[in-house]
Amino acid sequence: MLFKKEWTESVRSYKILWIPVVFILLGITQPVTSYYFADIIGQFGGLPEGAVMDIPIPTGAEVITATLGQFGQIGFLVLVLAYMGIVAKEKNHGTQILVLVKPVSYTNYLTAKWAHLLCISLGSYAMGYIAAVYYTFLLIEKMVIADLIYGGIIYGIWIAFVMTVILCLSALLNSTAFVAFAGLGLTVVLSLLSSLTPDLMTLSPAMLTSHSQNLYQTGQVGSGFGLNLAFTLVLIIGILIGTIYLFHKKEIAQHTT
Amino acid sequence: MELIETRSLSKRFGQHIAVDGVNLSIKEGVCTALLGPNGAGKTTTLNLLTGLITPSTGTIEFDQSYQGDRRQYIGYLPQYPKFYEWMTGEEFVIFAGELAGLTSKQAKQRTKEMLDLVGLNDNSKKKIAGYSGGMKQRLGIAQALVHEPKLVILDEPVSALDPLGRKEVLEMMKRLKEHTSILFSTHVLHDAEQVSDDIFIMKDGKVVIEGSLTHLQNTYQKPTFFIEAEDKLEGWVETIKGQDWIDQYSLDGKNLTLTVDNVEEARKRILKDPMFQELEIYKFEVAKTSLEDLFMKVTES
Ligand SMILES: Nc1ncnc2c1ncn2[C@@H]1O[C@H](COP(=O)(O)OP(=O)(O)O)[C@@H](O)[C@H]1O
Ligand SMILES: [Mg+2]
Repeated sequence: MLFKKEWTESVRSYKILWIPVVFILLGITQPVTSYYFADIIGQFGGLPEGAVMDIPIPTGAEVITATLGQFGQIGFLVLVLAYMGIVAKEKNHGTQILVLVKPVSYTNYLTAKWAHLLCISLGSYAMGYIAAVYYTFLLIEKMVIADLIYGGIIYGIWIAFVMTVILCLSALLNSTAFVAFAGLGLTVVLSLLSSLTPDLMTLSPAMLTSHSQNLYQTGQVGSGFGLNLAFTLVLIIGILIGTIYLFHKKEIAQHTT
Repeated sequence: MELIETRSLSKRFGQHIAVDGVNLSIKEGVCTALLGPNGAGKTTTLNLLTGLITPSTGTIEFDQSYQGDRRQYIGYLPQYPKFYEWMTGEEFVIFAGELAGLTSKQAKQRTKEMLDLVGLNDNSKKKIAGYSGGMKQRLGIAQALVHEPKLVILDEPVSALDPLGRKEVLEMMKRLKEHTSILFSTHVLHDAEQVSDDIFIMKDGKVVIEGSLTHLQNTYQKPTFFIEAEDKLEGWVETIKGQDWIDQYSLDGKNLTLTVDNVEEARKRILKDPMFQELEIYKFEVAKTSLEDLFMKVTES
């Protein structure tokens, strides 16, 4: 019922509607603007003949990669803002007292929220991704379906990692603003480090994004992918277990008098 | 075996000891009051019992015949209950019942009964966000009772209510007493006197007085004489103090308060005392000390 309650809450606050919508819009935008970009430049830019050749329509791989980049920025921002309070807000309002005073395990309480987070984020992402692929096929070029599926799943695991971090921060911190700040900050730092010093960051979860890019461009993941994937999955589980443990040790009842 | 027994239960917040070596024993089938001024440590004690916070030292034991997680046998109404306001009252109670392990059919059935009991049936389909304070309080009682707990713990159930709401909730507690054990906290003695069988009075984290209501009444509600005179009463008091019909006395210059066990005997003795007859008395009053006096004395010092 805890899982069901999270769904009802997301439905009543319309999160279940607007988060997928954001992702679908993001997914459509990239291929469509790429396609019309040359046209737009040609019509308004007044470029000389022949210059159009310098602005080629990007490849499908580039478009999908750019779309994932959008997901990684605007998409994360939306998810984090929507769910930074998933635990913290209940702690601050005191609503979780009436739940945790019932014979409910802390593990169930947190994993229900975790499962819900993953459902919403991965579900929205999948819809956005499918939209992006559909319009890329339609407007730009066909790509290898299998690569797209694998690449999509690999990127999805990066999303799952970020969502797990958000749950962890929300459970352990009291300020939702700080949850958002720390969550997005960590994501940005990991992504930056991974693209600047890939050699040092072979295990970083953010490296998964570059593996998925390789897949689109060359049909193959980069080296060290297996270890990277395994490490990320271990991290996700580890963070989840650690969060449950620390959350259990925290005092639930807040100061009232 | 009592329903709940604590031994030297203590809870420390940093430097501050909120609960200090408390031994409680809550009997089954009894209504127990935890009485004390604000900041005495009542809420902290109740949070320890429900497991929402862990004791710094000491133990809590629940009746052995109820195995497993003690939360399943406890219903709890916090001092400031907070609900998911986007739910309706009915949804919340069903949710609470399911959390406590009822099947969804049982939960629906029990929810209907509980909302009936607390008089919220007409508003059960409304969002909690639109409830008044009194309605939320009653909803809180309904969700605490939904899984038929052995012990209902109510933290200041009437403090936030107006006199009418207060009376309603106290009446409800009297009815509830027939079915389940109750432990509630209050800072108002009168509430405790109305419904409870056992009373623990807390002050600064410690239990200072405990016992059944009748025991406390017998011990502390004594016939009392208030005597006031023109001149100092000291000389006369010297001659009678220590006599066995006197329980306690306190002398403040020209004012004497005398508690006794037997009014008839004491009155005779005083009035027939030749030395007393010499005094220029201008007030001679017989009354009973109330628990209120005791409570004031205990909590003020
Ligand atoms: N979480 C907390 N952190 C620090 N001090 C607390 C906390 N909870 C309660 N206290 C302190 O412990 C004392 C007892 O509080 P409480 O149990 O709420 O009293 P009561 O319910 O009898 O009014 C108070 O002095 C209060 O300030
Ligand atoms: Mg209190």
